[in-house]
Amino acid sequence: MDSETDDLYPIAILIDELKNEDIQLRLNSIKRLGTIALALGEERTRSELIPFLHENTDDEDEVLLAMAEELGNFVSHVGGPEYAYTLLVPLETLSTVEETVVRDKAVESLGKVGEVLSEQHTVQYYIPLLKRLAQGEWFTSRVSSCGVFQTAYPRAPPNLRAELRSMFQALCHDETPMVRRSAAQKLGKFAAKIEKEFVKGEIMTLFTELTQDDQDSVRLLAVEGCAAFGKLLDKDDCVQYVLPIVQKFAQDKSWRVRYMVANQLYELCESVGPELAKQDLVPAYVKLLKDNEAEVRIAAAGKVAAMCKLCNNEQSVGQILPVVKELANDGSQHVRAALASVIMGLAPVLGKAATIEQLVPIFLALLKDEWPDVRLNIISKLDHVNQVIGIDLLSQSLLPAIVELAEDKHWRIRLAIIEYIPLLASQLGVAFFDEKLGSLCMGWLQDQVYSIREAASTNLKRLAEEFGSEWAQTHLVPSILGMAKNGNYLYRMTVLTCLALLAPFVSTDVCCNSMLPVVLSAAKDRVPNIKFNVAKLTQSFIPLVGSAVIDSSIRPCLLELNSDPDSDVRFFAGQALATIELQKGA
Amino acid sequence: MGSSGDLDRMIEQLQRCEILKEREVKTLCEKAVEILVEESNVQKVEAPVTICGDIHGQFYDLKELFKVGGDCPTINYLFMGDFVDRGFYSVETFLLLLALKVRYPDRIYLIRGNHESRQITQVYGFYDECLRKYGSANVWRYCTDIFDYLSLSALIDNRIFCVHGGLSPSINTLDQIRTIDRKQEVPHDGAMCDLLWSDPDDIDGWGLSPRGAGYLFGGDVCTQFNQNNKVELIARAHQLVMEGYKWMFNDQLVTVWSAPNYCYRCGNVAAILELDEHLTKSFKVFEAAPPEARGVPAKKPAPDYFL
Repeated sequence: MDSETDDLYPIAILIDELKNEDIQLRLNSIKRLGTIALALGEERTRSELIPFLHENTDDEDEVLLAMAEELGNFVSHVGGPEYAYTLLVPLETLSTVEETVVRDKAVESLGKVGEVLSEQHTVQYYIPLLKRLAQGEWFTSRVSSCGVFQTAYPRAPPNLRAELRSMFQALCHDETPMVRRSAAQKLGKFAAKIEKEFVKGEIMTLFTELTQDDQDSVRLLAVEGCAAFGKLLDKDDCVQYVLPIVQKFAQDKSWRVRYMVANQLYELCESVGPELAKQDLVPAYVKLLKDNEAEVRIAAAGKVAAMCKLCNNEQSVGQILPVVKELANDGSQHVRAALASVIMGLAPVLGKAATIEQLVPIFLALLKDEWPDVRLNIISKLDHVNQVIGIDLLSQSLLPAIVELAEDKHWRIRLAIIEYIPLLASQLGVAFFDEKLGSLCMGWLQDQVYSIREAASTNLKRLAEEFGSEWAQTHLVPSILGMAKNGNYLYRMTVLTCLALLAPFVSTDVCCNSMLPVVLSAAKDRVPNIKFNVAKLTQSFIPLVGSAVIDSSIRPCLLELNSDPDSDVRFFAGQALATIELQKGA
Repeated sequence: MGSSGDLDRMIEQLQRCEILKEREVKTLCEKAVEILVEESNVQKVEAPVTICGDIHGQFYDLKELFKVGGDCPTINYLFMGDFVDRGFYSVETFLLLLALKVRYPDRIYLIRGNHESRQITQVYGFYDECLRKYGSANVWRYCTDIFDYLSLSALIDNRIFCVHGGLSPSINTLDQIRTIDRKQEVPHDGAMCDLLWSDPDDIDGWGLSPRGAGYLFGGDVCTQFNQNNKVELIARAHQLVMEGYKWMFNDQLVTVWSAPNYCYRCGNVAAILELDEHLTKSFKVFEAAPPEARGVPAKKPAPDYFL
């Protein structure tokens, strides 16, 4: 008896906390609802816990959100599918609350629960619930109802289906725009569950109506459905019904709608196939590329390469390319940046000759763009260039662009270009790199900004990986060692970091005889920060050098640091000594 | 070792901008008192060290500061007060700095600003934030009790005097500061109040402060103080400067401001002052953290105590 109460004690606390005044505690408890249910058993969960939760649906939104989510995974806790209907009551209430995120979650959970219901329960509980929601007085419940149809419909017996469709139709004509928005948003998913004959008829009509809604926010969501519809319909029907709508949308008076079209157009082209895309959608696309609103042009510019690849014919590229040239000089830097990140994707479509003739000039112009992001986007795709035309053609223009980015006054730009250096190095080859970029990489080690010095150190490591240890020993190590006596402790620190990072890539000889002595002599530095960094960094040398070197030089140095007046120096020296012991043990 | 592991975990958590449990805050504050109570009103600090001004709860901008200046303990820091109020993350900001202080007492120094006060924090946001994040004022109470132990000023290598606000007519020598009993709420007047509230100004002698606390002091006052105490520079914070830092009085005083785009709307840049081991000065100017470096935006709209 006693042990039973003991077992239940933690659960009793959780149950208590469900009612606690502290929201954090209630929240914790709700998130462990499954544990509570397991402890209570299926029957008490149904008869006590669920009704209790239902009574408490006037809580804070955060708690309700957690509850809505938990209930979706609760079917097994109430006794499996045959009792799943008991979850519908609290979920119904949650799907009518004011806070959208709670409702959305409740609808999602209603979907999960609905999937396991038997046909009898669907008719007895689920469809009546859907009816109540869809005909609710307050718009929130009608908004939620739109998302339940996709689950209810395929499980409803055929004699009820017509009614469900007409209910959805009513929602599409609801006087509240929020409800129509929700209907527009869910229409695609609903349509996917409906018999084909009705899709073409009733549902298509609804869709067409929504696409003509007064509110641009409703039309907007309808556009999102276009691509989905395209996939549901046969090609012919798609051409007949969806294509004209898209063409109309592409000229919608609201830029937000046009933006959505620009984003969706490529998928739509996929559904109608390249032949029709070329003929009917490319002209619309070209218009979007020339749109008055920068946002629309950004979305469209981002799809240039994909569109050209899809059409893959001279005529369409011939229509698109001139516009691309204009976009390279667009007034908005964001348009140019979007273009810069995809433009090289055009190269395979154009072929080498046309690329050199038409694309390279655009490419070079973007590489000189006044906006650093545009240049960076070009540089980040440099491997694509190499695949098509080889890098030689560009190297002369590339260098000034890199140097300028390397000296940009914003440190995040400098950081971005440093991160591309290994890519550049692999594309440009070691000779070009040594001649042009080597000194730049060394220069970053003395940057004003700590994060840049850090990235510059990591960069050297990645270069060593790329070009090999021989190269690292001759090109990196001497210059780094040359900086070891810098008068500013920040730069001495960077030197130590670099040495520790490069140690695994050089020969044992260089590691033990050139690098390690410099690191260990820094243990006598006057600045404690340098000293404890020495202690930290010796840890990367320990696995690389033999136990003789550890005993003869590393350990004595650490022992000295371990009696330093500074407590942090002692702490990190102690840690390093422990690492040595551990290694010995192993 | 166990306790430093625990602290390291707290620091990691705070660096993700996650608050500690109330109980953890209490333990942290108890440890902090032990360290802070040993510090002098004019705390001795050795170069190299990086000097920072107001932070005001702008947590992600503090992280930006560390990206530009380097992490603690790799780099030594001196923060000249005003850690809390106005920004969204006073709790996380102050606790992170405090946890670093407890973990690395010789690597980071925190001195008191005029916002490290019970009265001011009830008006400018820290109190409300504690209440919102913890559901009670306990954490606010622990933190404000710590404020009373924070040192009032710092002296770097005997040559650079650092204080949040400025000078006081009742103080001529550093020894006079050393004799203040600082373990109290910031008073409404007197030497301790002035150190946290005063501002330099292009006037002769002393003037009334428009802030209603502390004084305005001129270049002659500054020269006299520096000569009396054989220091070459006063570094202070307390005033927004659009360029992040500002020299005054023939380079005898500098204002350092470390909250970029103050209150998320002022459009200013921020600065920190790096001193290497030879006291060579180098200002690092930085901007507010870009949106992608920030966490999810706060769901609640900005509170109305801004400006």
